[in-house]
Amino acid sequence: MFEGFHSVLRLAGLKVGVGEWLTVTQALDSGLIGPSLKEFYSTSRALVCRDEADYDKFDQAFAAYFQGAALPTPVSQMLQSWLDDPLAKPPLSAEELAALPHYDLEQLRKLYEERLKEQTERHDGGSHWIGTGGTSPFGQGGQHPTGMRVGDGASGRGQAIATARARRFRTYRDDIVLDTRQLAVAVRRLRRLERKSRRLELDMPETIRKTAANGGDIEIVERPERRNQARVVLMLDAGGSMDAHVRSVQAFFSAMKQGGGLREVEAYYFHNCVYADVYTDMALLKKKSLAELTRSVPPNTNLVMVGDAWMAPRELFSPYGSIEYGTSDEVPGVDRLRELAAAFPKRVWLNPIPENYWGESTIRAVGALVPMFPMTVEGMVAAVQVLLGRGDKIAKRAAKRPWPSPQDVF
Amino acid sequence: MSIASLSQLPAWTGTETYIADEGLQSIVNVAVGLGRPLLVKGEPGTGKTLLAYAVAEGLKLPLLTWHIKSTTRAQDGLYLYDTVARLNDSRFGDHDVRDIAQYIKLGPLGEAFERSQKGERVVLLIDEIDKADIEFPNDLLHELDAMRFTIAETGKEIRAAQRPIVLITSNAEKELPDAFLRRCVFHYIEFPDESQLARICRVHHPDVDEKLLAAALRKFVQIRAVQDLRKKPTTSELIDWLSSLRLSGIDAAKLEATLPFAGVLLKQENDAQRVLRAASPRR
Repeated sequence: MFEGFHSVLRLAGLKVGVGEWLTVTQALDSGLIGPSLKEFYSTSRALVCRDEADYDKFDQAFAAYFQGAALPTPVSQMLQSWLDDPLAKPPLSAEELAALPHYDLEQLRKLYEERLKEQTERHDGGSHWIGTGGTSPFGQGGQHPTGMRVGDGASGRGQAIATARARRFRTYRDDIVLDTRQLAVAVRRLRRLERKSRRLELDMPETIRKTAANGGDIEIVERPERRNQARVVLMLDAGGSMDAHVRSVQAFFSAMKQGGGLREVEAYYFHNCVYADVYTDMALLKKKSLAELTRSVPPNTNLVMVGDAWMAPRELFSPYGSIEYGTSDEVPGVDRLRELAAAFPKRVWLNPIPENYWGESTIRAVGALVPMFPMTVEGMVAAVQVLLGRGDKIAKRAAKRPWPSPQDVF
Repeated sequence: MSIASLSQLPAWTGTETYIADEGLQSIVNVAVGLGRPLLVKGEPGTGKTLLAYAVAEGLKLPLLTWHIKSTTRAQDGLYLYDTVARLNDSRFGDHDVRDIAQYIKLGPLGEAFERSQKGERVVLLIDEIDKADIEFPNDLLHELDAMRFTIAETGKEIRAAQRPIVLITSNAEKELPDAFLRRCVFHYIEFPDESQLARICRVHHPDVDEKLLAAALRKFVQIRAVQDLRKKPTTSELIDWLSSLRLSGIDAAKLEATLPFAGVLLKQENDAQRVLRAASPRR
């Protein structure tokens, strides 16, 4: 019964394996699911979905199968694979950008669908087809001023006005599910267990020794439990260019906060670069001076900074460089970063921008002061290794980057 | 999987105090029939834990509860070997310490298996599974699959003859592993809409004044609609609030203009201010 439904569910993007589908048919055959469609709806949903985030996809599939509604047009698998691996291109000048045609959303959609029908092969760096790194209004990692982003890859100039993400791809939500767990597991390696807890546990060897010394009368010896003593100061960029990465930052933040089982995670915020003050809230209203922060943290605290480190060079290198209203610091941001670097021997920077864009001058300068890693599970694992003082391998990896090493920048 | 066991149990249809819609009823029955754990998620206060009590009551089966804390290990659910008691007995007690079995204390999961071994079916609630370590659900996989385990100290095997009915609640504080999710029947309890809320309120306050109920519900729905509340008020808070309103004898007309006993609904200072701001007319 309902054979086609299984494939419709998979088309709608639900990861329904044969096992799950067999369970549904088994429940149907054994009469566990009554004859009403309503009952079939709720029970099959319970057997097929694993998260409320899946419900929407299920509803679409259900409507498509039983009411003949249309599934959203899927971007073909092949198209996505062309887009997965964007080729980096040099930035365009303002004049070049202005010369490209501008489209509104409705025009874009129409053009997209027409072009999708015609396109048959991979394109990188062109101006017409759906591809990567070019000036065509469609694709990703490209530089068209009012273009449409297609697929799940990295954004280029951050100017795409619409995102066409067909439902047969993993949603961001699924990424988070996967990532939060893996990130949490990575964060766990920061653990530093010490017997400093107020809670006591039985010290077995000592109890046996004392009991024997006592001539067999049981004497219980207790000692403090081992507790994770690792502390982390988190500094998060709350600037506008980070909006595109909100989800990955959230996943990272929750992994840090709850998954890692760390003793203390203090979070601070900054706008593009760190100046005389950091903020204890995301709205950048409550200040705490950098000097006070570096003075008050216990030694051995890990510093984890999260940001794109991508700003106008003057924001980093000039005195009074902050673009934040009401903030003026005569010390350039880069020197503030040096202060931070001096206060935190164990420090890393996680950057949500893909590594192939790290050639930008400010990113390179920041990376020279704070070891920089991509904000992925892999990057996180490497960052934790550096925090633990096992960074040799990582240094080798950094040397492979296609731009000058930190020493050459300064 | 023993589907046959289903026929021995009547279909679950909710209870007098627990109102379940048809969808939830059939999901519970399918989970029971397939012998799979039912994983229940939803906002706090949507009755996730109560569902287990209601299932046990409705099916007239005993309920075992296992409340998970951050320190709970999977082994705790199976059994504990009380070595200290045995050591103590060896010196002072009048027990026969050669019999290790008397120092084995079964955990909730172990007890559920053992009672099922004796032919008694039970409902087991594993409450707030997301509180524990992130690897905890994986550690339970084998026992939940095989429905048996061996007590290493005595070599005794506890094997469930029938699958106990397992309900698991999660507040989504941590993501659960995929392998675990694959074995569960999943249900997300949505927050009840206004008419369902009214039904729930009438169950707890059978003789409530209809006007007061309508006014209170309207207020409640408004408050929940306020953006960015840190903690939205839940059903149980609504019921408490209704009690406060009735005890103080406030009438429906007065309720329109003010928000008495706001503290019963809003537990965070910021939230209270936010609701006040949203309620005051825009300049």
